[in-house]
Amino acid sequence: MKLLEVSGLSKSFGGVAALANVVGHSIEGETLGMIGPNGSGKTTFVNVVSGHVRADRGTLTFAGVNIARMRPHQLAEVGLCRTYQAVRVFSELSTRQNIENARLLLEDRGLGAAEVRELTEWLRLDRNLDKQAGSLTLFEQRRLELLMRLVLKPRLIMLDEPVGGLAVTEVNEMITLLQELKARCSLFVIEHTMRVIRELADRVMVLIAGEKVADGPPSEILQNQRVIDEYLGNAAHA
Amino acid sequence: MTSHSQYGIAAATLVILALPFLLAGNRFLGFVLGMTLISLLWATGMNLLSGFVGLMPLMFAGIAGIAGYAMVYFTRTAGWSFWLAMPVASLLAAIIGVALGLPALRLKGFYFTLCSLVIQSVLTLAFIFFPKFTNGDTGINEIAPPDWFGGTALTGVRFDFALAVAAVAGILFSTWLTQTHLGKKFVAVREDDVLAESIGIDVVRTRITAFFIVSLYAGIGGCFYSAYVGFISPRAFDVLVSLNIWLFVTFGGRGTILGPIIGTAILAPIPFLLQDLQAFKDILSGTLIILVTLLMPGGIYGAWLKLLSRKRGREVQTTQVREQGV
Repeated sequence: MKLLEVSGLSKSFGGVAALANVVGHSIEGETLGMIGPNGSGKTTFVNVVSGHVRADRGTLTFAGVNIARMRPHQLAEVGLCRTYQAVRVFSELSTRQNIENARLLLEDRGLGAAEVRELTEWLRLDRNLDKQAGSLTLFEQRRLELLMRLVLKPRLIMLDEPVGGLAVTEVNEMITLLQELKARCSLFVIEHTMRVIRELADRVMVLIAGEKVADGPPSEILQNQRVIDEYLGNAAHA
Repeated sequence: MTSHSQYGIAAATLVILALPFLLAGNRFLGFVLGMTLISLLWATGMNLLSGFVGLMPLMFAGIAGIAGYAMVYFTRTAGWSFWLAMPVASLLAAIIGVALGLPALRLKGFYFTLCSLVIQSVLTLAFIFFPKFTNGDTGINEIAPPDWFGGTALTGVRFDFALAVAAVAGILFSTWLTQTHLGKKFVAVREDDVLAESIGIDVVRTRITAFFIVSLYAGIGGCFYSAYVGFISPRAFDVLVSLNIWLFVTFGGRGTILGPIIGTAILAPIPFLLQDLQAFKDILSGTLIILVTLLMPGGIYGAWLKLLSRKRGREVQTTQVREQGV
């Protein structure tokens, strides 16, 4: 079943087209990757889909519902949420308060205390509950971000560079976590680290200068000549 | 909420309720107390927005003014009892406040403040240019004190005590409110509105709700002020009044319940006690605004809390070191 569907999606800033006629979809249960050079419109794509920025043109549907005019908090309610390229937690509040804030949306309909505890342990945040979120390491903050999305009972989480800034060993751990996460909900991942895309994505969309130039399984896309020429180059391909 | 701040609030409540009787012998001090209690009610309300939601509403005094003038209109022209006019006028002021503030409530931080300044200026002008309701620049004098049972009027110590009850009710309500889900949303919106929105909090609606509640505080305080002082003019509800209340909140410690109580208790009586130095009092509050903004962003109580947590942090560190056997 198609979960997220976009067509003719366009967004310009001034005269620059950040997104030009983007068409695509994700399927329930799949992990869709998105790659492309810096400034190719990947984050704009997430901003538009997640309701942070309104598209100039195009249609946006999520689980059959038109979401083009929805604000982020309404999208969270229908099960679409996102994380940010620069990690974003309530840094002055404790980890526990961060989690509590994310639980405000669903209240009694949400996860029970036991389920939240289980997630907290899975993401290894149970020893940090009383620490100020801003004092956690980047990797811990990234995990807290994930936890705050999971208590929203999402159907799709859009991750904007989930391993950005992490050390090599942490990248490995994050990939493992995200692989386990795939069992819980559908994912959309923007990444520059090709390993993440290779190991996680079922399908990859390539965005260059706001246009979708390719769409297919990672093995195929990473061999695609145009993608190699314009984005991967030879070094990154290795 | 930590247990020590709960004790603090309970203690402050008792002191506030006892003070009118302790100062009953001296009418001048009783009046200073009454004015301080009205300021306390206002500061507690302002704190909900400027401390918990993170917006600085400079039209606060203007909204209090709408309620004050409306209350006088209802009691004088329509012949209502103060106790009916006060809630109706406050509700009216809150509705007008939200309607005026609606466009501004989509903005954040500095932009909201600027917008609120414009709204305050418009309200001040409105008070001058609608003399039918406000008697213009001259103001309205001889406003009757609230009526009381048996045809008597609420005056003297009994009025002071009524103000103490109102202030305590305001403090207890905001203590309760900040513990609710709505109160948690306030803090989330203050800390990061983009993140709050993306984890499902309707930021604009949260701000509007907060602003409505805060406007009710402004309105109720405005009605009590008018009846207590017996004279109102546009000057009584101008931007300096908003700034002064903001100063009480920030000086004491915004975003805490005890902070505004401390700030108001220290600063609100000063202009009355320094009455011979009229020119000096505006200079003093101006200087304090600058100093507080620069040196004490957390206010007195905020600085105290920081000190406590640093001390506790050190203790934790020492026990950890001890456990590691260093």
